[in-house]
Amino acid sequence: MTTAYREPEKGDPLVRLQRVVKTFHRGSEDLTVLDGLDFEIPTGSFEALMGPSGSGKSTLLNLIAGLDRPTAGKVLVAGNDLGAMNDGQLAAFRARHLGFIFQSYNLMPVLTAAENVELPLLLTRLPSAERKKRALIALRVVGLEDRVNHYPKQLSGGQEQRVAIARAIVNDPTILVADEPTGDLDRKSADAILDLLVRLNTEFKKTIVMVTHDPAAAERASVIRRMNKGVLQ
Amino acid sequence: MVPLSYSVRNLRVRATTTLATALGVGLVVFVFASVLMLGEGITRTLGRAGSADVAVVLRDGADAEMSSSIELPAAGLIMNAPQVRRRADGRPDAVAESVVVIILDKLGTEGVSNVAVRGVTDDVLAFRPSVRVIAGRAPRPGSDECLLGASIRGRFRGLELGQSFEVKKNRRLTVVGIMADGGSSFESEVWIDRNVLAAAFGRESVVSSVRVRLASSGAFEALRSSLEGDRQLAVDVKRESVWYEEQSQGTSMFIKAIGLLVAVFFSVGAMIGAMITMHAAVASRQREIGTLRALGFSKKSILASFLFESVALSLLGGALGATASLAMGLVRFSIVNFASWSEIVFEFAPTPGILAASLAFAGAMGLFGGMFPAARAARMNVLDALRG
Repeated sequence: MTTAYREPEKGDPLVRLQRVVKTFHRGSEDLTVLDGLDFEIPTGSFEALMGPSGSGKSTLLNLIAGLDRPTAGKVLVAGNDLGAMNDGQLAAFRARHLGFIFQSYNLMPVLTAAENVELPLLLTRLPSAERKKRALIALRVVGLEDRVNHYPKQLSGGQEQRVAIARAIVNDPTILVADEPTGDLDRKSADAILDLLVRLNTEFKKTIVMVTHDPAAAERASVIRRMNKGVLQ
Repeated sequence: MVPLSYSVRNLRVRATTTLATALGVGLVVFVFASVLMLGEGITRTLGRAGSADVAVVLRDGADAEMSSSIELPAAGLIMNAPQVRRRADGRPDAVAESVVVIILDKLGTEGVSNVAVRGVTDDVLAFRPSVRVIAGRAPRPGSDECLLGASIRGRFRGLELGQSFEVKKNRRLTVVGIMADGGSSFESEVWIDRNVLAAAFGRESVVSSVRVRLASSGAFEALRSSLEGDRQLAVDVKRESVWYEEQSQGTSMFIKAIGLLVAVFFSVGAMIGAMITMHAAVASRQREIGTLRALGFSKKSILASFLFESVALSLLGGALGATASLAMGLVRFSIVNFASWSEIVFEFAPTPGILAASLAFAGAMGLFGGMFPAARAARMNVLDALRG
């Protein structure tokens, strides 16, 4: 099957899950983490997924992000059936549509802030000068225009996460997925990151799906979904 | 494509490991380059003695001067062939020489080795204008004096200016001059009067070879068909340059084969070193690999990135090894030439081609050593990699 990418149309739910089951095999045992999940995320929404450890929220995020495939059911993001894509198509899909924000920032320690932010643009056909220009704009959006040539180890945790957010938005993705984005930060830095995410949602109209344990972080989202034992409550 | 700076800077961050691995590769490349340089040195040393406008005549079937003998009357006929150039005085521009091997004590080490002694006529320096007496003087004709090649000067007992040695029991020769010839194999010989040699070794009626300078370049074929067609002469005629090239082949190939075998064995160790280093790099950067994959970089680009890193690491080692091998140009190396069974002194001769081949060899080690770790990085499950 060939999969043609399609930009989301106005009124489309950006993410649509249909009877999604995800089962992991642990030796001879099968562990069902998501059990017939149905739900939609509209374009422009800022959604928080909460729930106890093992409830399936990270698994769900991974499916939406095209990092994993469902055992059964369909995961449609921007009209694309992710379960039907091969590894190469999924990689191209992520490069075009996804922006990732990780709990531990996941910056490349040997690259400067600007080089880290430029990484996703290396997968485009943009000329070098344009890539650098956009990386600078992204760093300006997160308030780090004075840290472009700093390496991750020269930045604070909050600054590192802001570089990671700049990297996530630099290619103007369709959806941002954030996995515990404030999990490694102190309260003040966490609030600054959450302010930034809210601004990306309201000002730049970015759709955001955020997994968090932190009720204060979840409060900043426009929708809070709670998961338990593989189902949404 | 993952930026090259990512790979290069990762090598810099792990400076100690990078240097240790690079040194391992460098050692192998050093051996590899040195062997090729020695092979080249052998070819050059023997090749330099050959001249394209000179034909060498040996007994039919003889592959070296040592095993050749031509009767003096036959030698006279050969030298007077019409294809041979004439000197101003009307005499043929040719020499008939005898070559023997004597055993002398080596200096600096225990044991003995063979030295080639060439019986020459008084016009030898006129025939070989590239040979220069760089110290002392030319021997007097008919005397027990000799001219010593610069390469073996001081390497054997008695082979030094002003010293003497026994060419045959109770027959001593004195070194009165040192000759040089641009590093050719003549520099590994002792030249004495042909009549003195003939008397000492009972070779009054024969010579080993005849060399003639051709009247013109096109005269070679005519000379060859004329001399080889004469069944009474029973000789082989070759261009001197071709003959020396053939002489060098056996020794050069032997040295190269042994050396390359050693280098290949060593390279297995270096490749394992590179592989361990790259495996460690992959293990310590799992999360980075997962992140790159999550961002959309393909498996192929991850593979290429780690392969590039491995090749860059090996090329660094290759550059170190190749640079170090240049120092071998200062070293002189003596071995027994299989063609003449006498000791010949060689220099290690670096060429751009050898340096390029050495770097290519290093790159190949990096490519093969890095293949498995790079494939492992590329095949890594994205989620497993992200968990570190």
